[in-house]
Amino acid sequence: MSLVKVPKPSLMQKLKRFFLIDLVKGLGLTLKYNIGAMVDKDAVAGKGIYTEQYPKVRPDVAPRFHGAPRLNMDPETHETLCIACNLCALACPEDCIDVLAMDVEVVVAGKPRRKKVLDEFIFDTSRCMFCALCQEACPTSCLELTQDFELATYSRAGFVWNREMLEQGRETVKYTS
Amino acid sequence: MSISFFSLLLSPVNFIGDLLLKLGLSHDAVNSVVWPLIQISIVVLVVTLWVAYATYLERKISAFMQARLGPMRVGPWGLLQPIADGLKLLTKEDFIPEDADRWIFFFAPYIAVVAAFIVFSVVPFGPDWAVITDVNIGLLFVIAVSSVGVLALILAGWSSNSKYALLGGLRSSAQMVSYEVSMGLALIGGLMFARTLSLSGIVAAQASDAVWYLVYQPAGFLIFLISGIAENNRAPFDLPEAESELVAGFHTEYSGFRWSLFFMAEYAAMVVVSAVATTLYLGGWYFPFVHKLETGGFHNLYVLVSALIFVTKMAVILYLYFWLRWTLPRFRYDQLMDIGWKWLIPAALINIVFTGFSVFVVQALDGWGSLRTIESMSQGLNLTATGKLIMIGLGIIGLFITGGFLSLVNGRSRDFNLKSQRRNIRLVNLPSGTPAVASTKETAPTEA
Repeated sequence: MSLVKVPKPSLMQKLKRFFLIDLVKGLGLTLKYNIGAMVDKDAVAGKGIYTEQYPKVRPDVAPRFHGAPRLNMDPETHETLCIACNLCALACPEDCIDVLAMDVEVVVAGKPRRKKVLDEFIFDTSRCMFCALCQEACPTSCLELTQDFELATYSRAGFVWNREMLEQGRETVKYTS
Repeated sequence: MSISFFSLLLSPVNFIGDLLLKLGLSHDAVNSVVWPLIQISIVVLVVTLWVAYATYLERKISAFMQARLGPMRVGPWGLLQPIADGLKLLTKEDFIPEDADRWIFFFAPYIAVVAAFIVFSVVPFGPDWAVITDVNIGLLFVIAVSSVGVLALILAGWSSNSKYALLGGLRSSAQMVSYEVSMGLALIGGLMFARTLSLSGIVAAQASDAVWYLVYQPAGFLIFLISGIAENNRAPFDLPEAESELVAGFHTEYSGFRWSLFFMAEYAAMVVVSAVATTLYLGGWYFPFVHKLETGGFHNLYVLVSALIFVTKMAVILYLYFWLRWTLPRFRYDQLMDIGWKWLIPAALINIVFTGFSVFVVQALDGWGSLRTIESMSQGLNLTATGKLIMIGLGIIGLFITGGFLSLVNGRSRDFNLKSQRRNIRLVNLPSGTPAVASTKETAPTEA
C-alpha cells in the first residue's frame, strides 16, 4: 500500500490561482455563449441556439427513420396497390398486421374468374417495432413506413389503425406558433 | 398629449406639486404626504415589476448561456411568462404542514419581503425628487434592515418543522452572519472618502469629486460584491437552498404565493445590494456631463436621466449576479466558511487600514514641495488630478497587497476541511499479486 506525495503547485500554477485565471476563463465562456445566442438573430437553428424548436419547427428525421405506416394507392386510379397477398403479415415478427381479403367475381378475357381483393387492413402500431420488414416484403410497394412520428393517441384503441387511417393518414393537431 | 408631457419634463417648476396645491391641499400635506406616497407607489411598482421580470431575465440569460432559447411560448419571446407564473402561483393551494408552527410559518415570508422592500425608501435613485427620503445614517439603515431578512429565513426554516427546512435555515444564519461582517467592513473604505453615511451625500461627494469610488476602492468593491452575493444566498453561495442536498432549503414546505414572496424577497434583496454597490462604488446617479442639463434649465429631464443612469448601473451589477450564477458551481460548506472568515473579513480589515493609510499619505503629500493633492474637504474628500492618480495607484497596490498577503497566510494555514489536510494520499491501484492489507501505518509495507 504505497503512498504518494501530492506535488506542490509550481509558480505558474500559483500565479494562475492568484489572478483567478480559471474564474475569468469560465466567465468568458459563458459570456461568449450568451452573446452568441443574442447575436444569432433568427435564434432558431443558428450558431447560438442548439435546441430544436419542435412544435414550431419540424425536426429533420434521419433518412432511414421508420414511422407511421401507410398504404399507398395508385396515383392515377386511386385504387389500393395492395393485392392482399398477406406477405406483410407473415413477415411481421410481432404479428401486428391483419390482412382481411375477400373474393370478388371478375371477368378476365371473357371468362368469369374469382379475384382476391383487400377488404380490411389492421395495423396495430402499439405493438409495432418499426423494423420495416413488412415494407421489405411488400411486392407492390403498397405498405410503407413513412417519416411521420406523431403517433400518440388518447386511448389504447387509437393505436390500432384500420384501412381508412392507413390510406388517408391520421389527423394530428399541428401547432403553428 | 405628447407636447404637454414634454413640457412637463423640460419645465423647471414642479408641475404635479402645483396641480396638487390647486386642488386645495396645504403645502405640508403635499410635501410630506402626497409626494412620498406617489414616490413610494412608483418605487414599489417598479421594484415588483423588476422582480417579476428578473425571473424572466434569469431564465433567458441562463438559457442563452446554455445555448437554449428559454421561455418562448407565452407572448412574443415569452415576455408574458412572469404574468402567467404569477397567476399560477396565486391560484395554487397555500399549504401549511400539519406540525408547522402556524403563525410563524404564516408571517416569515412577510418579514422577508418587508425587510427587502423597506430599504428602497432611502436609496437615491436620482437627485431631487427621485429620493423618497434622505436619512443621514442611510447606509447604516440599509445594512441594519437588510440583515433582518435573515430572521425571516431562520423563522421559516424553524417553523416548517422539517429537517430540510431547518438545515437550510441554520445554514443561512451561519452564512449571513459570516458575510454580514465583511460586507459592513468593506463599506468603511468608501466612507473615508465620502465622509458621510447619507446615501445621497455619498453620491454628491462622488459627483463633486467627478470620480467613482470603484477606482479608489477596487478591493472594497470586490469584497462587497462577493459578500453581497453570499448575503443574498445566490449561487455560487446558495447553500441554504442547495437543491442537491436540501430539496429547497428553508422554503421546502412553502407553496403558492407564500413561496413566491420568498422569491420576491430574494430578487428585491439582489436589487438592494446592487443599489448600495452602485451608490457607493459606481457613483450612484452621477455620470459625467449629465449635469449640463441642470445648468441648461431642464431640471426634471436631468432628474429622469440621472435615475435612468442609476438603473443602468444597477442592471450591470444584476447581470453580474446572473453571470456568476450560471458560471460557477456551488461551494462546499467548508469552502464557504473559508472564503468568509479567512479571506473576506481579513481582506476587509486590511482594506480599512490601507485606505486610512492612503488617505493619510495623500493628505501628507499636500503642500509637500509644489504638490497639491487636495482640492477641498467641504463635500467629501475632493482630490486634484495628481491626488486622484496617487489614490488610484494606491488602490490598485492595495488590491495586490491584500491578495498577496492573504494568499501567503492562507496558503500555509490549515484547511477547515480535514480531508484535504492530508498531504499524503493512498494510491488506489494496488500492485497486482499482493493482497490488500488493512493498515493504519502511513509507510509502505516491505515487499514479501
